[in-house]
Amino acid sequence: MSETGSGVPAQSGLQEAIEQQRATISELLTPVIEVWDGILALPIVGSVDTARAQDMTETLLERIVATRSEIVLLDITGVPVVDTAVARHLLETVSAARLLGADVYIVGLSSRTAMTLVQLGIDLSHITTRATLAKGLALAFSRLGLAVIPQLGNTRHPVSPDRETP
Amino acid sequence: MARVPIIRLGDVLIATVQDELYDHDALQFQEDLGQLLERGVAHGVVLDFSTVATVDSFLARLIGAIAAASQLLRAAMVVVGLQPAVAVTLVELGLTLPGVHTALNAEKGLALLAHLRRDERVG
Amino acid sequence: MPTCVAMSALAEAGGSRQWRVDVAGEEGIVAARQQAREAAKGLGFGAVDQSRIATAVSELARNVVRYATGSCGDVQITELASPENGIGLEIVVRDAGPGIANVEQALRDGFTSGQGLGMGLPGARRLMDQMTIDSVPGRGTTVTIRKWRH
Repeated sequence: MSETGSGVPAQSGLQEAIEQQRATISELLTPVIEVWDGILALPIVGSVDTARAQDMTETLLERIVATRSEIVLLDITGVPVVDTAVARHLLETVSAARLLGADVYIVGLSSRTAMTLVQLGIDLSHITTRATLAKGLALAFSRLGLAVIPQLGNTRHPVSPDRETP
Repeated sequence: MARVPIIRLGDVLIATVQDELYDHDALQFQEDLGQLLERGVAHGVVLDFSTVATVDSFLARLIGAIAAASQLLRAAMVVVGLQPAVAVTLVELGLTLPGVHTALNAEKGLALLAHLRRDERVG
Repeated sequence: MPTCVAMSALAEAGGSRQWRVDVAGEEGIVAARQQAREAAKGLGFGAVDQSRIATAVSELARNVVRYATGSCGDVQITELASPENGIGLEIVVRDAGPGIANVEQALRDGFTSGQGLGMGLPGARRLMDQMTIDSVPGRGTTVTIRKWRH
């Protein structure tokens, strides 16, 4: 590592900036959302390579611990291509979360992805899937013993008009 | 290194695994636990790994073996507190501990054991 | 416990830090992986990489205890710095045991030899960035693994 005249290593400042940016990008690409007490949602958008999959898994696990969540909704609707490599990464994420005591439901599975998973030739009997995030959430609620009950007598509130007119 | 301490809490045994366990201590624990379960002392076991920084294939396999044996001895076992770094490493080694119940911490582990016990009575 | 014949130290690595842990029984497994973890932590490896490194060393050290004559061997840990790869850690696990007749087969998952199930070599390879095996049947085995800080 080279040093500037002032004695401060020139490389470390740049290195830090790069690290910081990487962390920010990682957070943006892998938003782990706490949709309910104990339920996390992880919508994946875009392609997933090994580095991203590892990042995603680590972030997810940290959030599972921090929020003490027991259910994760992994939404892959936004992943364009799920080949065997990506499928393997996803299953590793599921396995890792399970080791922490959290159940992962995969939602947004296309039939092509289903075929890819089957082709991997591994035991998929423990994988829970639902067609949409909403359905996954419904299952999560029922697992946690929760129910959404419509309030009697109250009609749905209309959307408030925008008061601010330019 | 010392033995893995096993505490009894009603119908459940709680064992706190120390970091950097020697092989012979792990095997000794397996035997100690087996003897306790054999006597019908408990129907649930919580294996707490929250202070363990490294779990290699030997320990992972031992966990699997202990879980299977416990089931034969009519006790449910739950592994709690595995650290994220450990979980990632185990999965990369292909050791996903199939058939082993897991929970985030001892509290949730106990809740899971109670749940399993209820299911067992009904089923 | 059988006393191990002292093995000659590997070449010094210039300015980088280096540690050596003797393996003469199962205590060596823990000692070696603890030292590897410390070294990794010192180099700024994250928690997950520390776990990967410690676990890989544990697998290889256990191989020494299981298969080497008298469970004798040693583990040498060296800090690395290269222009292409940056900062890294190299661990060399040596023993003067029976050696591996077929390295290819040993690397295939699930390979078994002697007592217990084989996991060490394939496992360590999965966790690390690089691995090389130098084994002479009847003389011993040297496994070198490296991980670079990403």
